[in-house]
Parts: sequence; structure tokens; C-alpha cells
Amino acid sequence: MTFEYHEPRELGPALDLLARHGQDAHLIAGGTATVLLLRQGLLRPGHVIGLRRIESLGGIARTSDGGLRIGAMATHRAVERSPMARAYSPALTDAFASVATIRIRNQATVGGNLAHADPAQDPPPMLAAFGATVTARSSRGERTIPVADLAVDHFTTSLAGDEIITEVVLPPIVEGTRAAYLKFLPKTADDYATVSVAATLRLASDGTVAAASIFLGAVGPTPIRARRVEDALRGRARGDIGEAAALVGEEIDPVDDARGSSEYKRRMARVWTERTLAQLLR
Amino acid sequence: MKFTHTAMVAVPRAKVWAQVMDVPAAARCVPGVASVRPSGNGKYEGTLAVQVGPVRLVLDGDLAITARDENAGTAALRAEAKDSRVGGAIRATMSLALAEKGGETEIRIETDLAVMGRLGEFGQAVIKRKADQLMGDFAECLARQASAR
Repeated sequence: MTFEYHEPRELGPALDLLARHGQDAHLIAGGTATVLLLRQGLLRPGHVIGLRRIESLGGIARTSDGGLRIGAMATHRAVERSPMARAYSPALTDAFASVATIRIRNQATVGGNLAHADPAQDPPPMLAAFGATVTARSSRGERTIPVADLAVDHFTTSLAGDEIITEVVLPPIVEGTRAAYLKFLPKTADDYATVSVAATLRLASDGTVAAASIFLGAVGPTPIRARRVEDALRGRARGDIGEAAALVGEEIDPVDDARGSSEYKRRMARVWTERTLAQLLR
Repeated sequence: MKFTHTAMVAVPRAKVWAQVMDVPAAARCVPGVASVRPSGNGKYEGTLAVQVGPVRLVLDGDLAITARDENAGTAALRAEAKDSRVGGAIRATMSLALAEKGGETEIRIETDLAVMGRLGEFGQAVIKRKADQLMGDFAECLARQASAR
């Protein structure tokens, strides 16, 4: 395996390299996914562009409107330990803290995680439930993509070949919104989820559900939005969520693998959706 | 890994049979297939390019029709291919059954797929989904071709 390694200090040269080498170039952020693919020989680029020296891609800060900006090269561990991220929502830092092990979290980056588009990852469903967007830059310009629309298939995103994710932006949270991320791990604590559920929920003054946003991980080729559950929840009160949670089975597309049969995962998706909602309505 | 794919085509069975047994033409219905040619003894050589995210595979191999029964509308096929760059191979045995249902034809393909070497690293979920996509596109294309004839 031989490739030319580039490590630009600014975003501009990185974009130029990517535009110039096209499919023969691959970006590397934290490298937790890319290095594995390179070592397995599944990825054989002629050029690897390292992003770690580009300072503008780092940082975690509240935005002026009360949202949160996470630089694409911020590590999972940095988000997990960020007081600003925790002030935004503890569920957000919980989701990042639930990824693999500390060694991985110290290395894996937020942008790399999203670009890798593994459907079993933890941050994407939580970011999508918060309504987060990514900013994608190329030498042609800049655009904003909802995290919910970023992954389109296993390991496949809607990013163009010359685009780099520069940041993730979370909108301000509407007063009274609750959020949670629950991950079902029947094997080991550092495993990928068998099913995971990220949800935000806002209650009306009478205690019924006014709005819900629910995304599941590991039960389809991308994070899956449970729209039917969201719709069914509206107007419901605490203690009246089982029926809505049961609708999740119609929305997901799990497959048989080492973490369980598709039927088992379907049942667990229902159980864990109900648990997540129950926690939010406690 | 075993998969079953079915598709309905709005043309009579005999027409679909002729179409499927013309391997080079039928193979053009599989997205990513290039240069299918007969290599003798009822075998065909060809390549299939598959992309999973950033990973591009080029599977080089052959396909043989190992049994066929036109009256029953059934056939058995065997495919073997490898990607020598990545280091991995697939072996598939397929049984094809065409059944006429009210003037339309149901195409049923049962596949038993073995994935060897590094290709296995993708995991079953990805491989199954890719197989589903290929077979789904194949059936749709056959249906389009058949009704255009």
C-alpha cells in the first residue's frame, strides 16, 4: 500500500488537493475508520489528505442564537467533556460518551464520523434528532445539509467527492425540550449498538406531547427517522405511549447479523423506543 | 447467506425465458456489469463493479448455467468471481424459477452467496443490501426490456 500523504495547514489547499485528485484522493480526520479500511486493503487511494493541522476545523462554541457549533475535527472526547456541549444538552454529551472506548473517542472526530456514514454509529441519530446541520465546503462554494439527509446508504453520504465537512451546527433548543440517547448493548459496553434511539420531546402546558423528533441507529442502512411514532405521539399523555412506540417496527429495516436476527432487532427497537420515551416523560 | 428475490414482469413466460437465457443481454441488466462474453462450455466471463461508499470493487469471474428446464421454467446458475486487488472472492449458486400468473410472469431467484477474504469485512448487512439492490435493478430492467420488445 503506497500513497502520497498531504497535510495542509489551511482548508483552501485541502479543497484544491481534493478537487485535483478526485476519486484517487481520500480524506483522513481521526483515522479510526479510514486506517482500518486502508489496512484491510479495501481503500487504495493514491493520495491521502490529513486534516488534523487545519485549525479552522476545530473548536466547540455556543452560537450567538443559543445553538452550538462543533468543528468537524473536534474529537468525540472533546464534545463529551465540553461544558458548552453539556450546557446545550446532556443527552448530546451522553451520545458522544457512549461511543466505543476512550481511546477511540480521543481519536475519532465529529466530521469523520458523519462522513463515514456507518449506520450503527451513535452521534448521527442524536445530532439528527436535534435538527443539526453540517456545513460542506468545496472549491465551488459552501452548502448546508441536514444531518438527517447526510447518510443515504451504508457508508455513503450525499456529499460530493470534492466536499469537506467543516462544522456541525445545532440549532437553539426550544424551551421545555427534553432529549435522550439510549443504546442497547447486549454484548459488551464498547460494542456497536444492536439498536439505538435518539429522541427529543417537547411537552405542551397540559402535559401532552407537543412535538417529538426520533431517530434510530443500527436498524437500517442509515439512521432512520420514526415519523409514524412522532405523529402518533402528538397530543398523547404520559403513560399512553406504548401504542405509538409499537409503530417503530414499520419504519425500520434491520438485518440478521451477529448482534441478532432482524425480528429480534425489530422487537428491541420497540422496547428501546418505549424506554427512551418513558425516560423523557418521567 | 441466502436471499430470495421476486419480481413480476407483465409479459408471458416464454418471452422472459428467452430473455434470461440470453446471458450477455440479461447481464447488461445488472448495474456495474461490463464485458460479458461466452468462454465455452456454457460459461460466460465478465466483470462486475460494485461501490460501497468509498470502496470500489471490481469482481472478475465467470457464470455458468448448470441446469435448465424450459418446460418447467427453471434453471440453476453458478457464479464465481474475485477481486484480486482487494483480495476477496464470492461464490454464488442461484436457482431461477419463472411462473406464469394471469398472463404475467413471476421471476423468482434464490441465491446462496458465500463471501470470502477481505470482502467479508463489510459485514452481512452491507452485502445483503448490495445484493438486494443489484437483484432489484436486474428484475426491473428485465421487466422494462421485456415490455419494450
